[in-house]
Amino acid sequence: MIKTPDLIASLAANATPVRRLRPPVMRAACWLLLAAVVLTLLAVNQGIRPDLVRRLQEPAFVVCIAASLLTGVLAAIVAFLVSLPDRSRLWLLLPIPALILWLSNIGYQCLTQWVAIGPDGMSFGEAARCFATLVLTSLPLSLAMLVMLRYAAPLRPIAATFMGSLAVAAITATALSLFHVIDATAMVLMWNFGTAALFVGLAGLFGRTMFRWAAPRTLYARD
Amino acid sequence: MTHDSRSRGLSLRLVGKHESGAHETASVARDVDWSILMACAQEGDRTAYHRLLQEITPYLRSLAARWHRDPGDVEDSVQDVLLTIHSIRKTYDPARPFAPWLVAIANRRFIDRLRRQGRTRDREIPLTTEHETFSEPQANLEVKQDRLELEGMVNDLPPAQQNAVRLLKLKEMSLKEAAALSGMSISSLKVNVHRALKSLRKMLVDRSEP
Repeated sequence: MIKTPDLIASLAANATPVRRLRPPVMRAACWLLLAAVVLTLLAVNQGIRPDLVRRLQEPAFVVCIAASLLTGVLAAIVAFLVSLPDRSRLWLLLPIPALILWLSNIGYQCLTQWVAIGPDGMSFGEAARCFATLVLTSLPLSLAMLVMLRYAAPLRPIAATFMGSLAVAAITATALSLFHVIDATAMVLMWNFGTAALFVGLAGLFGRTMFRWAAPRTLYARD
Repeated sequence: MTHDSRSRGLSLRLVGKHESGAHETASVARDVDWSILMACAQEGDRTAYHRLLQEITPYLRSLAARWHRDPGDVEDSVQDVLLTIHSIRKTYDPARPFAPWLVAIANRRFIDRLRRQGRTRDREIPLTTEHETFSEPQANLEVKQDRLELEGMVNDLPPAQQNAVRLLKLKEMSLKEAAALSGMSISSLKVNVHRALKSLRKMLVDRSEP
């Protein structure tokens, strides 16, 4: 085993100048900007759902979309906050009210409009387009989040991944509500809950491994 | 665990049993010092970085001693923390106090080590000498026999050769150490070892022939 004074000497000898990380809120803003760009590109490509203006007059829809967007924004900010060593873990509680509002709204809509699925309410084409939106939104955002949060690797990988995944899931759900007509159905519920559960489950199982892949080798020099 | 890292930072800074105003001022001054040193280190100042790491090491050691009992573990943990600090030093913001940042990283690494050790303890059983004896009885008995015979033969050698073989071959000292201990010169040690090995080889051959 190398002696501690020798280790200190070798670390000091390797002390190249580093660029400090920007404040967490600013980094979250950059990520959200990327999300906005992705959503805009999707809107240009796929077009906004035709009944959006009419739906925006329904309070339940507006609350749902606002809650999911707010959850995404807050979760992104918290993910960047908890990825730093000296920030309190209490920040993890910040997106919870918005999350509860969002999830309860989906549950309520599902209960009241469950019967609305008619025999021809859902076609394969629409479902495939929905899935494309899901992947096109969540994939680049997840990758960007993973790379931006890599410094959390030796500290709180699970908490940071959890929040990052929640942010991606919430933004994706917002995108689905903006672009696709089918909502308040089993499919949206499955996708919204399913995506969140999938990301959170993956975060729990592979959070450390994913960071190991994204983080530079030196972060794990002694593991 | 929802400790506020800032409160942990304070508890680190005030290690003394009786916290006095003077202590507090000193610890705040030190925190500012470390902050400045880290800010310089981030800009590539190697001397400042070296000084910072040297100054925080005793601190980390005392922190690690609260989590680990084995001195080897304490030192390993300290090195672990130093490496982590090095790899994520860009996450430190000089506008914020240094101690909470340091303590949060350190505690994280100590807990990680304890968890890893716990997992290892659950899954692995260290081999003891009994395991080796039971699995390889031949090796243990035979080696002892051979060793006794060899020692008997070494005792038959002239004293200078005996000395050289014992120091260089049985105790595995370097030529320099053996020379210092025995008072013989390096070249005479070499000659004596050479001669001793030649005689031993001859003795072994004689013994094995009927």
